[in-house]
Amino acid sequence: MTQQRHLEGHLPADHQLSPHWQFSNLPLIGRLLADYSIEDLWETDLTRLPRALARQRRRARTFAERHLMPAADELDLCTHLPAGQCHPTAHRILCEAGKQGWLSYFMPAPLGSMPWGTVPHAPIWQASLIVEEFSRACGGLMLLLSAHHLGAMPMLVAGNVGNILRHLLPVYQSCERGEPHLIAFAITEPAAGSDVEDGHGAAVYRPGVVATPTDGGYLLNGRKCFISGGDLAKTATVFAALQGEGMDSWTCFYVDCLAPGYKVARTELKMGMRASGAAEIELTNVFVPNNCVIGGLRNGWALNRATLNSSRIPVASMGVGFARAATEVAIEFARHYQVGGKALIHYQDVQLHLATMVAETRAMRSLVWQEAQAGWRPRQLSASMCKFHVTDRAQRVCEMAMDLLADHGGKHENKLEKIFRDVRLTRIFEGTNQINRLSMIEDWQAQLLDLNHRVGA
Amino acid sequence: MYMDAEDSLQLLEGVGRFARERIASMAKRPQSPINADQLVLLTQEASDLGILPLATEKEGFGIWQHTDAAQAMLFNIGALRHIAYASPGVAFAWHRLALARWVSARFGSAVGPNDLQGMLLVPTGHYGLGRNSLARWLKAGALSRQDTVMLSDWLNRGAHASTIYAPKDWQSLVWPVWSDEQIAWQHVARKDLDVRSDHAQHGLDELTGFTVLQTSTAGQTIKQEEDVSRRAYANMLKLDMLGLLAIGAGALDRGQALAREYAGIRRQGGKLIAEHPAVQHMLSDIEITRHKVDMALAALARPVDELDVGAVAATRASTSPALCHAANQVMQLHGGIGYMRDAGPEKLLRDQNMLKLMSGGTREIHAFLAGWTGA
Repeated sequence: MTQQRHLEGHLPADHQLSPHWQFSNLPLIGRLLADYSIEDLWETDLTRLPRALARQRRRARTFAERHLMPAADELDLCTHLPAGQCHPTAHRILCEAGKQGWLSYFMPAPLGSMPWGTVPHAPIWQASLIVEEFSRACGGLMLLLSAHHLGAMPMLVAGNVGNILRHLLPVYQSCERGEPHLIAFAITEPAAGSDVEDGHGAAVYRPGVVATPTDGGYLLNGRKCFISGGDLAKTATVFAALQGEGMDSWTCFYVDCLAPGYKVARTELKMGMRASGAAEIELTNVFVPNNCVIGGLRNGWALNRATLNSSRIPVASMGVGFARAATEVAIEFARHYQVGGKALIHYQDVQLHLATMVAETRAMRSLVWQEAQAGWRPRQLSASMCKFHVTDRAQRVCEMAMDLLADHGGKHENKLEKIFRDVRLTRIFEGTNQINRLSMIEDWQAQLLDLNHRVGA
Repeated sequence: MYMDAEDSLQLLEGVGRFARERIASMAKRPQSPINADQLVLLTQEASDLGILPLATEKEGFGIWQHTDAAQAMLFNIGALRHIAYASPGVAFAWHRLALARWVSARFGSAVGPNDLQGMLLVPTGHYGLGRNSLARWLKAGALSRQDTVMLSDWLNRGAHASTIYAPKDWQSLVWPVWSDEQIAWQHVARKDLDVRSDHAQHGLDELTGFTVLQTSTAGQTIKQEEDVSRRAYANMLKLDMLGLLAIGAGALDRGQALAREYAGIRRQGGKLIAEHPAVQHMLSDIEITRHKVDMALAALARPVDELDVGAVAATRASTSPALCHAANQVMQLHGGIGYMRDAGPEKLLRDQNMLKLMSGGTREIHAFLAGWTGA
C-alpha cells in the first residue's frame, strides 16, 4: 500500500513550513533543547522507565500478544462453564503464564520470579505495567492472572516470613513448574458489598462469615460472593469475624479450597471479563488450622485495607489498558475506513476525536505511574483517587471509540463492545467508584478537620 | 383518520397491557432474551392487534401509521416507549418494521402487502450521516462536487457493507441509494444480497447483527420528484431518530424502576442505600435524564412535516449520551449485582449503547448540523 505524504489539513513532514526536520540543523545547544526523534508513543514511554521495568513491560506485551490476545474472543463468547470447570484454553494459558513467571512476580528469586533489577522499585509499579499490557489484550484473562496476586497480597502485607515461606513459596514454585495454583481473595459477602470496603459501613455491619474456635484451629461458616478466580483457586485468603464479635475482629484465614465444607456454589453470568469466574462460595464448618491464620487474630481489617491500597493502583492500570486498546482500535479504524473517498483519519473532526482519546489515555497512564512509582507504601487517598478517576475516564475513552465507529461500534468483531463490557467492571469492583471517592476523603479527614492548617491538593 | 387525546390514551393503555402481559413475561430473564421464534409470534400478535401495521392498505392506528398530527405522534412515541420498557430489542425491531411500512406507503404500489412481512429498513448510509453533505442536500442547497462524491459514496451499497440489526428471518430490506444526484429508495430481497451473520453484538440480544453488501443489480429502485424525495427522506430520518429516543426513554423507565426498587430494599452501612447521598445522587441523575427525555419527546410530538430535522438531530445528540449515562447510573447503583447478566441493568446499558450507535451514531450529528445550519 502506498503511503500518503500527509494528512489532509496538515503540511507534509518535509515541507519548508514543517519545523521538525529543521531542528536537526540547529547548533548544538539548539539541538539539545529542540531536536527530537519521532517514535512510537509506547516506545517513548518505555524509554522513560527504569531499564528493568522497561524489560518487564516489553515481556508482558509480548506474552499478552502471543497468548492472551488470540484467546480473548474464544473465552469471551464460549458457553458459561459449570463452577470449577476450567476452559482448556484458559488452563493452557495459566500453565504458560506460571512458567513465564506471571503468577509469582511479587517476590524475587529464589522465592518468586521478580527480576532483581526491579526490586528497587515499588512492586505495584511493576504490577501496574503488567496489568496494562494484559488488559489491553483481554480483560478476562488479565483478571484470571491478576486476581491471584490480590489473593496473595494479605500474606505479603502481613509480613510474616514464616507464613510466606510456608504458604506462598509452594504456590509460586508450583506456578513456575507450570502447575497453576491460584489464590483467591475472599472479602465480599452477599449482604455486604461496600460494607467490607468502607470503615463506616463495616462499623454497623453484621459479619456474614464467622470463625469459631475449635481444637487446633477454627471452623469457618458463611458465604462469600463475587470472588474473582474463586472457582479455580486452590487456596483462598478468607476474611471472617470471630464468633460473637463484630467486624473489628476480622481475621484473615488461608483456606484450602479442597477442605471439607468448602463449596463453590455458582459462578456469575458476568457482562464482561468472562474468562475469569466470579464465584459464590459456601463455607460449612471448614476447618482452618491455627498456622493458617494470616497476620494474627483481629488484624484482618487492616490487612484488607492495606491489600486494597496495593491493588487499587493496578486496577486503575486496567483502565489504562482498556482505554489504550480502545484508542488503538479507533486509530486503526480511522486509518482504514473510507468515507467519501478518503480514510476517516483525514477528517479534522476525527483527528480532534482521536487526539482527545490519546491525551486522555496518556494522562491516565501518567497518574498511574506517578502513584505507582511512589507506591512502596501506597496511601489510601492516592490509591482510591487513582482508581476512581482513571477507571471513570477509561470508560469515557471506550465510549468515544465506540462513537467513532458509530454504526460499526456494536459489532463484536470490531472489539470495542467487549472492551466496553470489560472496562465497566473496573468502576464497580475493588470498591465502587463512589466508595473510592469516600475512601479518599476518609483518609484525608485529619487534615481536612484541622482548621489551623491550610490543606494542599 | 382523526385521533383525539382520549383515543390516544386508550390505545396506549392497550399497548401497555400487551407489553406487560405478553412481551415482559417473555423477557423477564434478561440473560435469556426473547428468541427468534418468540419474536415472530409476538410480531404476529402485535399485527393482529393493530399495534404493528403490516399491510399498506389497511387503515388503523399502528406505530408510525399516522405521522401528520400531534396526537398520532404522541401515540407512536408512547407505544414504542411502552414496548421498550418490556424489551428495547423488540421495540427496535418493530420501530424499523413500522418505518419500513411508512416508507413503502410512499412508494405507491411498488411494494405489495405480502412484502411487508419480514421487511426491514436501513435508514442511513454505511457510516455516519454523510458528514454535512446530506444536510445540504436535504436543505435543497447547491451541492458541491465534494457533496455528490460524499453522498454517492455514503449510499453506495455495493462498495461498502452496511451493518444492520434485525430479526433473524428478515426477507427483504428497503434502503436509500444515490441515483441521478438524489436519494431514491431501493427494495431488495435478501436472496439478492450478500448477507453475513455477525458472531455477536453488543446489545439488543433479541436481534441478530448482519453485514450486508449488494453484489448485483437486483432490486427495485423507486425515484421520486426531487423535492418529494427530499421531504420523504427528511421525514423518515426524523421519525427514525424520534423512535430511537422513544425506545431509549422506555429503557430508561425500566432502569429507573429497577434502581428505585433496589435502592429501597438493599442495605449498606446499616441503612437502606436510598438513604445514602451517593445513591440519592445517582437516582437524581436518572430522574434528571427522565425529565430531559420527557421534555424532548413532548417538544417533538408534532406533525412530522412541522419538525425541523436539525432540531430532532440536535435533540438526539444531547439526549442519547444522557440516556447512556443514566443506564450507567442504574448499573452503578446496583454495585456488583448490576454487572451480572441475570439482574437486568447490564442489558439495559448495552441496549442504550446500541441505540446511540444506530443510524450513523451521534458523533457525526455535529457535522450534519453544520451542514443544516449553512456551513
